[in-house]
Amino acid sequence: MPVTLAQGEAQCVIRLDGEINIGSAAELKKLLLQALASGRELRVDLEHATELDVTALQLLWAVEREARASSRGFTLAGRVPAEISIAVVVAGFETFPVGMDQK
Amino acid sequence: MLDKDKFRQAFLEEAREILLELESSLLALNDNRGDNELVGRAFRALHTIKGSGAMFGFDELAAFSHNLENAFDEVRNGRLQVTSELINLSLAALDQIKAMLDEAAGGVGASVAASAEILAKLRQLTGKPGTHAAAAAPSPPSAPLAAASGATRDWQIRFCPGADLMRTGTNPLLLLRELRQLGSLRIKASMAAIPPLGELDPERCYISWEMVLSTSAPREAISDVFIFVADCCELTIEPATAPAIELTAKRTAEATTAPTTAPTTEITTQPAAGPALSPAAAESKTPNPKSPPWGRRASDTPDNASSIRVPAAKLDQFVNLVGELVTVQARLVEIAARREDPDVVAVSEEIERLTSALRENSISIRMLPIRATFERFRRLVHDLARDLHKEVELTIEGADTELDKSVIDQLNDPLMHLIRNSMDHGIEPPETRLAASKRRSATIHLSARHSGDSVLISVADDGGGIDAEAVRNRAIEKGLVATDAVLTEAQIFAFILAPGFSTARQVTDVSGRGVGMDVVRRSVEALRGTIDIASKSGNGTSVTLRLPLTLAIIDGLLVRVGHAYFVLPLAATLECIELTRQDIERANGKHVANVRGEIIPYIRLREYFNIQVERPEREQIMVAETEDGRYGFVVDQVLGDHQTVIKNLGRFYRHVHLVSGATILGNGTVALILDPHRLVRDAIRTMALARGPLGARANVRAAAPRPRAPDVAAQGMPAPSVAAEIRACS
Repeated sequence: MPVTLAQGEAQCVIRLDGEINIGSAAELKKLLLQALASGRELRVDLEHATELDVTALQLLWAVEREARASSRGFTLAGRVPAEISIAVVVAGFETFPVGMDQK
Repeated sequence: MLDKDKFRQAFLEEAREILLELESSLLALNDNRGDNELVGRAFRALHTIKGSGAMFGFDELAAFSHNLENAFDEVRNGRLQVTSELINLSLAALDQIKAMLDEAAGGVGASVAASAEILAKLRQLTGKPGTHAAAAAPSPPSAPLAAASGATRDWQIRFCPGADLMRTGTNPLLLLRELRQLGSLRIKASMAAIPPLGELDPERCYISWEMVLSTSAPREAISDVFIFVADCCELTIEPATAPAIELTAKRTAEATTAPTTAPTTEITTQPAAGPALSPAAAESKTPNPKSPPWGRRASDTPDNASSIRVPAAKLDQFVNLVGELVTVQARLVEIAARREDPDVVAVSEEIERLTSALRENSISIRMLPIRATFERFRRLVHDLARDLHKEVELTIEGADTELDKSVIDQLNDPLMHLIRNSMDHGIEPPETRLAASKRRSATIHLSARHSGDSVLISVADDGGGIDAEAVRNRAIEKGLVATDAVLTEAQIFAFILAPGFSTARQVTDVSGRGVGMDVVRRSVEALRGTIDIASKSGNGTSVTLRLPLTLAIIDGLLVRVGHAYFVLPLAATLECIELTRQDIERANGKHVANVRGEIIPYIRLREYFNIQVERPEREQIMVAETEDGRYGFVVDQVLGDHQTVIKNLGRFYRHVHLVSGATILGNGTVALILDPHRLVRDAIRTMALARGPLGARANVRAAAPRPRAPDVAAQGMPAPSVAAEIRACS
């Protein structure tokens, strides 16, 4: 699966692998909701992702909004590949996700 | 879920259709070079192929089409003239695109050298550098496009994808990337419409974009980027004014930063996030699936599915099942009649009515206009005229005539051979035509029309006509006919259809091997059709194919002779009259009947098929309209109409032409379906062989025919035994 969820003691890590597009959007949404419901801190690992399409971007954006609304931690784990950073800029997302410099 | 292969397959199918449209646009453009509408059509077709091609990973194809598209953009902007050279080059490029599609579908590979050659010529023509096919650049390079146009200006673009944009396989980010190729782009995504995670439909795009594009490209170039999502998005493109840019930037900046600065208020104030966005926001909050989807399509058309695409195999299966249903229904009628139970009879009649409607419906679904087949030949005529140095115009009539899909599928080859024949042998070079005081440019007229239960398709040219004497001499030479035989023109022309028959002294690339007309004959016979050739020396030739409307089910009239059942096509039958012994005596042993003053010759099926059963006191004559006039068929009893599912007799009986198939009756008996046209032809021929020089109907009238049972009996299989064998097999 391109989208996997690992639950630790204090945090959930959602790892995205390869091309994340409409084909994995439903699965990603399910895991994000699961992670939110767990109440743990949420980390999203984009290091092995090669492509994020709009469905993935808007899901991450929405989960960030919700995590912040409930004052829960939401961070990116690992390095963000250059392709992803470029795609995000092309898409006109200036402040997302979560500030690329934040680790 | 998305299935990439399925989309690719759909793209390949769609691309072929677009290419057909492109081809017809190009050919029409050739005849009408100033028509901007046609240039636009060609441009849009190329753009769609390029765009969808790139989207589904056919980069080489996209890059190649892009170059051609650029050329047409030049034409559209008035910088390039439509010339024969451009049209021919475009047609060659179109073939190359076709080859690339075939390659993608697992066919023979497209030649890279050919691509390069076409592109080189295109460059010469446009005087511009193009992207090489091998360079996998699906998007247009900005330099040539931008440089080609006037001054740089700013455009304000708002792009809101509709609810179903993603489901069409479109990736909005690719569109934005393509837009970026046109010039410098400032872009802001608006996330205001994204609902809370729980309510978010993961396969829908909630993000909309506001952009300012600085480009020298014309407005069309911008809207062309969105050309295939135009139906499912909201798009505005306006020349930007300075304050507007300012305002936009501010507003979108607010929208995007809102969640990070004040997330809670953002969620609650969402519906007020701007007038244009509110409907979407409102919709996303309404769980009601019936709420109108976002976008232009929703407001313009009530439904996006006015037609659907179904694989032909599924349709065939459907028609087969209806055929089986008709057979079972016939059994029900039989049982109902035997039981004499009014309830069963009522149900049986109701089912009969429904089955009949279902049958007509299923056949009408398979009916297609012949237009696509006809239009395809414009290209053939254009190319052949060029190769043969002749001037030929193709006129088309009755392209909306509908035929069963399976018939249309098998028409392509025979029509192609007929047209090639006309172009090569029939039509003279322009000089010869002028010398014969004809128009310099010749005409091939392709027409289709309905005639009863058949469709007549004709290929007529105004060329030199067939030299009957040459055909006759060749036939004698080949030993097909005796040197002293007296033949009518129609009989002489019929030799043209013999395999390996050709009067051409020279075999050309186009024709002359004597294969073509044999193919025509075989294909038409396989369709249970007939061929009629008419020609006047010096005035041209016309070949008319008479084909049945459908191959699956016909309305028939069930008749009985002794213990044998036959079906006559209902459309061919006119009336039914009684034949008593007195009538027979009055006719002095001649096989003619007097029907309200008209003398109708008849054929006794009993004698014809050698059915040895006692003759009843009263017989019946079915009067049928055939190509040779009205004829009667004498039977013991007319049982009534019958929905006839045609079953093939199989390879073993393929030479039995008088019978066009068989059908299974309600009681399990097999009835042979007779072909009245062929039956009458055969009777006339048999009689002519017996009596020397052939006459047509007049002779038949003068001396009543006494036909033997020719084909069937000659091959040692009288009809009842055919029936018995089919029964044994089924």
